Amino acid sequence: MVVYFLTIMLFGTYFGRYTKDTSDFFFGGRRFSWWLITMSIVATGVGSHSFVKYSAKGFEHGFSSSMTYLNDWFFVPFFMFGWLPIIVYSKVRSIPEYFEKRFNPSARFLATVLLLLYMIGYIGIGFLTLGKAVIPMLPEAFHIFGITMDVSLMRAIVVIAVITGAYITFGGQTAVIFTDLLQGFILIFAGFMLFAIGIAYVGGGQAFWDLLPTTWKLPLANFNEPSSFNFVGIFWQDAVAGSVGFLFMNQGLLMRFMACKNVNEGRKAAAINILFVLPLSAVVVGNAGWLGKAISTLSPDIISPNTSPDEIFVVVASIVTSPGVFGFVMAALTAALMSTVDTLINATAAIFVNDVYRPLMKYFRKSHSDSKARDKAELFAARLTSIAITAAGVLSVLAFVQFPTVYEAHGYFHSTLTPPLVVAIFMGVFWKKFSPAGVITTFLGGVVLMIIGARYPEMFISPFDHGIEMNPNRPYSYIRALYNLVVCVGVGLFVTYTSSLQNRFITWVRNTNKGQPVMMLITTSATIAFFLLVFGITTFELYYPVIVILFVPLIVTYFGHYDEELATNGLTVWSIAAAKAAFKGSTPNEQLGEKIEVKFKLLDNDFDKVLFSKNDLSRMAAEVGDLVYLSDKRKWLGGLKSIHSEYGEPHDEEGVVYINRDHMDHGLFDEGKSLIAEKEM
Amino acid sequence: MEYFSHSWLPYIYLYGIGGIFFFSGVYIVWRTGAIDLKKPHHRMWMKIFFFGYAWFMAIHGLLTIFALR
Repeated sequence: MVVYFLTIMLFGTYFGRYTKDTSDFFFGGRRFSWWLITMSIVATGVGSHSFVKYSAKGFEHGFSSSMTYLNDWFFVPFFMFGWLPIIVYSKVRSIPEYFEKRFNPSARFLATVLLLLYMIGYIGIGFLTLGKAVIPMLPEAFHIFGITMDVSLMRAIVVIAVITGAYITFGGQTAVIFTDLLQGFILIFAGFMLFAIGIAYVGGGQAFWDLLPTTWKLPLANFNEPSSFNFVGIFWQDAVAGSVGFLFMNQGLLMRFMACKNVNEGRKAAAINILFVLPLSAVVVGNAGWLGKAISTLSPDIISPNTSPDEIFVVVASIVTSPGVFGFVMAALTAALMSTVDTLINATAAIFVNDVYRPLMKYFRKSHSDSKARDKAELFAARLTSIAITAAGVLSVLAFVQFPTVYEAHGYFHSTLTPPLVVAIFMGVFWKKFSPAGVITTFLGGVVLMIIGARYPEMFISPFDHGIEMNPNRPYSYIRALYNLVVCVGVGLFVTYTSSLQNRFITWVRNTNKGQPVMMLITTSATIAFFLLVFGITTFELYYPVIVILFVPLIVTYFGHYDEELATNGLTVWSIAAAKAAFKGSTPNEQLGEKIEVKFKLLDNDFDKVLFSKNDLSRMAAEVGDLVYLSDKRKWLGGLKSIHSEYGEPHDEEGVVYINRDHMDHGLFDEGKSLIAEKEM
Repeated sequence: MEYFSHSWLPYIYLYGIGGIFFFSGVYIVWRTGAIDLKKPHHRMWMKIFFFGYAWFMAIHGLLTIFALR
């Protein structure tokens, strides 16, 4: 495992050479092929759900542990033809930036706060899981040069954080993609190897199948019981809130899709991942639990039915594999978890630089006028931020240690912080009428109603419980997601459909000399109500949400300015064509052309244009000013050596493209190697 | 029916409620023009959408049938 960690760290830092600016650091230069991104997403997706958690559920409940891996298809049309083209074509670098373009800076601020909280907490959960997985394999203490160092959970987490932080800080997104690519292959191989060895251990496939009780073989959980694992709760928490969160809100995953060379490659990466790789991943992460159940049925003295579910992965792996293979399997387990954490750190750094650092520099007028100097400063800030976020993630572990299981800590985050953002993104993208008043009230009003629901689950969440029994210690762990989604959607709909009333009131306020004090009173009341509720002052608390939901839209409408036509053009699903035209800077050329092979020659200029012959231009069905993608001919590089540029004036030298030194350096093109050129749009 | 609440009831709920989300998505991206069926590769994506829905229905359906046999 030590060799594995060192290899990964060196592998990741090697790819630092491909990071020249913040675009490379966060998006890998928007250059990669779908297959490379698909495999790198495996490690991220599998890690985020972890071997430990799903093996535990597989041991307790059987094949239904795979439910969460097989329910992500429902929102794919919304994602592929709605959200993905919008974020790529609008050139936003983070989800909060979309909120400013679509709504206003206040919406961006609130989205930044919610997203940073969510992601730093998520990193903390990742570190906690990693620590818990590694601790059982370590001795109680290390003796180095006569000094005895006790092994503790927090110490293990700090060491892991240093390793993870190191290659992200130096390598950036390209390092993340390539280490995840390697780890993706390793963990799929390790997972299936464990399954194959385990099946042989219990006497073959038929014996394995026969050893499992019927309910363990069913692919979906019981509809509404037990409260700790039921179908309907997990449907709303995972298939709806989780899937939309995964596809629309997970900045790490979105950055992966944005690292694809174009939107269509992003769609392919998403489709292959969800259709084929996730079902395979479900087997990879859950099979140790299924094997554990089969072995405990066959020989209860080898694996007791009372074995702690959280330990079943390590128990099964140690029983069915030899010592050398066990080390490899455990390395794969930590690989999966590390891949999730590295993606999240890089993504959180992207949000911080884009939504905190840049606006602050702009505000204090410290931004460099020279774009290269500015980019250098931002890259430095991104690297420092990666270190700071890694440290914040380690600290946030302290907040989760108190949860009985990692699963619950994870569930708490999903059900609490996902719904307001998910609803806000979804309504913003698919509903033109959704305004800044709607989105800000969805954030604030949604949060206060969710707090009320958490305090009085019997009164507010039970109408949605589908017959699930309430566990007083952890009331409605999963189905609360349905309540949270309903209240957030409800607030958004209410505010949007009453906007004419709000506008009439604001017009009256503006036309009366008492307008200023009235608005001061409204603002103060809403602020006090919000904070009283958040800080748990329970007197009249059921009235606070009403005050927040009625007053916040008035405040936003009074103090803000919003032009629906301007704010929605190219930023909703209704205007994708406008988004595409804005991306290119002119009308897109949709004619289908060929991909061509060319040799490159250098030109001594610094214009971002590449020059082809007239005939080559015609074969690509391209015109001067269209966008072009040039990549190394070797397909197995997956676009690592490639650039995007614009077609310049043609020449007569067929089979030759003229590029400049910047293009060559950025694309890391090798002299003498052929390139493939294709029109992007 | 034995195991109904553990097999076909969640199956119907998953593809019924999930289907409402899925087909709404297909309708919206078609209605808004985000997916343009005049373009061959967009037609291919539309087919992939329906294939994906049927694919997961088949996986869950077959596993349920085999488990109940």
